[in-house]
Amino acid sequence: MNLLEINHMKKGFDGLGVIEDISLTVKEGEVVSIIGPSGSGKSTLLRCATMLETMDDGELIYLNEKAAWSEADINGSHSVYASKADLKRIHKHFGLVFQNFNLFPHYSVLKNIIDAPMSVDKVSKKEAIARADKLLKQLGLEDKRDAYPCQLSGGQQQRVSIARALALQPKILFFDEPTSALDPELTGEVLRVIKELAAENMTMIIVTHEMQFAKELSDRIIFMEQGLIQEQGTPEELFSSSNERVNEFIGKF
Amino acid sequence: MDIGKMLTQLGSGMVISIEIFLLTLLFSLPLGLVLSFGRMSKNRIIKSAAKIYISIMRGTPLMLQLMVVYFGPYYIFGLKISAAYRFTAVIIGFALNYAAYFAEIYRSGIESMPVGQYEACKVLGYSKIQTFGKIILPQVVKRILPPITNEVITLVKDTSLAMVIAVSEMFTTAKAIAAAQTTMVPFVVAAIFYYIFNLLVALVMEYIEKKLNYYH
Ligand SMILES: Nc1ncnc2c1ncn2[C@@H]1O[C@H](COP(=O)(O)OP(=O)(O)O)[C@@H](O)[C@H]1O
Ligand SMILES: [Mg+2]
Repeated sequence: MNLLEINHMKKGFDGLGVIEDISLTVKEGEVVSIIGPSGSGKSTLLRCATMLETMDDGELIYLNEKAAWSEADINGSHSVYASKADLKRIHKHFGLVFQNFNLFPHYSVLKNIIDAPMSVDKVSKKEAIARADKLLKQLGLEDKRDAYPCQLSGGQQQRVSIARALALQPKILFFDEPTSALDPELTGEVLRVIKELAAENMTMIIVTHEMQFAKELSDRIIFMEQGLIQEQGTPEELFSSSNERVNEFIGKF
Repeated sequence: MDIGKMLTQLGSGMVISIEIFLLTLLFSLPLGLVLSFGRMSKNRIIKSAAKIYISIMRGTPLMLQLMVVYFGPYYIFGLKISAAYRFTAVIIGFALNYAAYFAEIYRSGIESMPVGQYEACKVLGYSKIQTFGKIILPQVVKRILPPITNEVITLVKDTSLAMVIAVSEMFTTAKAIAAAQTTMVPFVVAAIFYYIFNLLVALVMEYIEKKLNYYH
């Protein structure tokens, strides 16, 4: 089944096109990495897909349910979003892990993880804690349960933010450069966690600059530039691509 | 007049000062928050109205505002003012004035919050009210505690302005006794009272600040 379907997404800021025309389908269990130079629109793509930004035009579909569709107007067409109630339901299908974690500093690690399930999904406290403890164990953070984010390393903070996203049991998880804000020696622990999720068949879309990591873990890699998907394929296909821009970009790493 | 009787009279003045202080905070702290929402509103009319209100309240003397609140009903509407209205007028005047100062403090605190906190909430599915109540406001409170403390300390001293409409708070009483008995003693007592009051305020605020120091 297709978990995510983006059709002809367009997005600009102040008249400047950032996403020119992007279509993308992600199947259940697929791991898709997005690479590309800085400013090519990768974050904007994720922000539109997670509805932190509204698209100018195009369709956004989660599990065959339309979050937004394109409607004709005098200038061509524009996106129309589903009702608030529908969007609220669709929202539950995905999670997003930010580059700079965005943990809640006034909440303990445990509270960061259980609060959304309890106050958004109305999960019982007992159930929320059970979920959290399982995640903390899985991500090697058991001893940080009662710590506050400011007492953790960047790598630990990012793992907590992954746990926070997973606690809502999303079907698809987006990552926007999850290791870019970390010291090099801390990236390994976060990448390892993402690899474990991939091994458990979690569906993921990962914007990253870690080429080796993307190569090892992805079912598909997308090379983005100037708001367009310039090339995509399996890691083997992409790393042996004849596209000059792809080679030049990968060659830098 | 013996010193005991003097202290009794000053004591009831102190109680009124403390009442003014507490009631002002009780009303102006939430009112200030509402006003700060108005100030940050996307609606231009609401935003301008809040801006003008804050500017006038901060730009004119509190003493004058108290007089307007107290005498306004008579001069503007021809209503008869009862003596009981005095205290009410003081609370209204103080609350309206302090709300303006608090509104600007709230606003600076709210605007200093990183946008990432809102975005995390949105992706996790929090409602707007949950986002503000659970995530934003608690952090804002910590950030704005120092300027709030300054205002609260000023408020302790400002309670003496109630004198202008003859509410017999601490300072009014001290002045009356001093004039009748030709003695400085009531002023000394008043000075000690305000000083200790503020010392206590500072202690309480310091305690709250320490309590919130578990994260940064
Ligand atoms: N909120 C915004 N307002 C204006 N311009 C933006 C905004 N967000 C992104 N952009 C612009 O869009 C372009 C693509 O940005 P982004 O999606 O962050 O790229 P990437 O993540 O690939 O580095 C950049 O030129 C950036 O300046
Ligand atoms: Mg980016």
